[in-house]
Amino acid sequence: MPLNYTDTKAYRADEKVQHSQLTDRQKRHIMKNSLPAPVENRQPTSTLSAKPERRSRLGIRKFTLHQIHVLIFACMHGLFSLYIRIRQIINVVSYQLSSVLYYHHATPQYIQKDVSRLNKLPKHLSAILKSDNRRAAVDLDRLVDETAELATWCACAEIPQLSVYEKTGLLKKHMPRVYEAVTQKLAFYYGGDHPSLSVTSPHRDSYSSPSLDNSLGHLKLHLISEQDGRESVVDLTRTLAEMSQKGKLSPKDISMELIDNELSEGIMAEPDLLILFGPTVQLSSYPPWQIRLTEIFCLKDNETFGYQVFLKALRNYASAQMRRGK
Amino acid sequence: MSDVVSILRRFVFESPPGEWAIKQLRELLIGALKQGPVPQHVAFEMDGNRRYARSHRMETVEGHHRGFEALARIMEICYKAGVKTVTVYAFSIENFNRPKYEVEGLMQLAKVKLEQLTTYGDVLDRYGAAVRVMGQREMIRDDVLQVVDKAVARTRHNQKAILNICFPYTSRAEITTAIQSTVAEFLAPPPPKNTPFSQTRIRQNILSRQLNGHDPLPTIRDSSPEKQTQAGDGAYAAEVEESGDLDEGASSSTTLPPDSPPPRLRDGADQSHLPNPEDITVDTLDSHMYTSEDPPLDLFVRTSGVERLSDFMLWQCHQDTQIFFLDCLWPDFDLHHFIWVLLEWQWRMKQRDRDEAPGRRRHVKPRKLVE
Repeated sequence: MPLNYTDTKAYRADEKVQHSQLTDRQKRHIMKNSLPAPVENRQPTSTLSAKPERRSRLGIRKFTLHQIHVLIFACMHGLFSLYIRIRQIINVVSYQLSSVLYYHHATPQYIQKDVSRLNKLPKHLSAILKSDNRRAAVDLDRLVDETAELATWCACAEIPQLSVYEKTGLLKKHMPRVYEAVTQKLAFYYGGDHPSLSVTSPHRDSYSSPSLDNSLGHLKLHLISEQDGRESVVDLTRTLAEMSQKGKLSPKDISMELIDNELSEGIMAEPDLLILFGPTVQLSSYPPWQIRLTEIFCLKDNETFGYQVFLKALRNYASAQMRRGK
Repeated sequence: MSDVVSILRRFVFESPPGEWAIKQLRELLIGALKQGPVPQHVAFEMDGNRRYARSHRMETVEGHHRGFEALARIMEICYKAGVKTVTVYAFSIENFNRPKYEVEGLMQLAKVKLEQLTTYGDVLDRYGAAVRVMGQREMIRDDVLQVVDKAVARTRHNQKAILNICFPYTSRAEITTAIQSTVAEFLAPPPPKNTPFSQTRIRQNILSRQLNGHDPLPTIRDSSPEKQTQAGDGAYAAEVEESGDLDEGASSSTTLPPDSPPPRLRDGADQSHLPNPEDITVDTLDSHMYTSEDPPLDLFVRTSGVERLSDFMLWQCHQDTQIFFLDCLWPDFDLHHFIWVLLEWQWRMKQRDRDEAPGRRRHVKPRKLVE
């Protein structure tokens, strides 16, 4: 209700004293000014003579208003596309520049130096990688490579856990390959000794390197897909329903803690930071239960996967504060 | 210098002709926006009332009052632009942790505003808007709850637009409630049906056909090992699967936590009447969510620059909802912020339609048809 200035003032003054100042009529008057016209009840009028003329006038007025609206709509969108193109160009150029500026040179020391200035790091990082359904074979190479890069950066930044979400589940199907690729990448970055690695996925065997007590740390890479989202909640419900049908559990026993426990044990725990490598904030069926308080980072208009996105996300995370409803 | 500017501003914006012109401009812009696709369901996370109050040196509660004014403004825009459902996050369960004074103030605010809705109910009738309150009702104070119910009942008959007020709400609690009620639903035997068809005859018919070579039951089981391994929790699924074959009493002793009630064993005949838990699908859960009657969430807006969902609409917005995080504080939020969001949303929709093949356009309907 966009009230005019005097009405707003009166309204606010009235509010201060618990709405006791204004009388009923005054309040109605204030509201009436800003209300839309009452919904007209079209009743067939018997006065035929007056009808055609009025209707045609109304029609013309409506028609012109509609034309004006269409015109303004077209103008607005024309200008807006122009604006968004310019914004995209500016952003992409600046991201390109920063990717040159912040380059890791495949050296863990550089990444550690970049990260050391941050006052807090996520303990559990997650990322959504885009997949293109049409060219699965080409896509797999790219996805595996991106996962390997990201995992290595995490290992260098000493982030102990990384969950990679890929909608179709392509990565999950090729876990050994992912494991190989990440190990190779780690060896490439670190030279000889590199942090140990374990690759896991819900309901699948894990792959882990033999020596877990490594001085350089350990990275847990977790692969998830669309199935671990809504579908997993449905599966849990099925299990619970079956249990309750057998009398092992009453619906009252189902608590938030129970569900949280099951989903974080069975699927994954809540990540601290989620990085989107896409131009817009869209979660593409990411597990809903787990993104409750996750900090979501998306670089506007960015289409590329790169180290600068990772670094900016970490910086953003370090500067964000958690209030938890307080 | 700034004084002159502010005086000029006030002169232009607060004089009757200035106000009239701005009002006309708003109407024109909203009318124009309406020409394109309009999101059917918008969710707002109204964040920043307290920071606004702090920066304007007013009391926290007053900041919330300004937030309410912003809500009324945005509702008006949404209504005029043709948005069907607006969902707002008014109060989180976590908010009970705030200072008692502030919680009281918020409760009082909700009570007073809803009370006004009931006394001036014709206002919402003009908009054709219905109010619904979603959340953990048992956490609302009694006197507030009465007012809530009255307001909801007063506006129930309106169909044109819906305002969902999430109060006290968290999305995890919503999902938990949905799971709980789904389980409860599957615990109750379906109502007896009066049909001329005899179930035993049908079963016998099927059984005799199965014996003649077709054996659909075991094959279904064999062909879906993947499904079983991907159950919400592998261990549980395996256990339940096992216990299905074993004796009831033997397995229940292993799975039962010590503090849960004694198992209410059912006889076999009773159990066979229960609906099959495998019939639970995403749609079943969807129909138990608070938003079951609403169209899918198209647009999610959070103000004040925080880039988290904070337990709001998790189930609803994690698919292809467009999420916008804005920097402005909620009480400042107005058409000149919202119009950019709407324009970008329309632009993205256009972009998406262009990218996708014409046959693969997103349809909103099929999801509803199942229920």
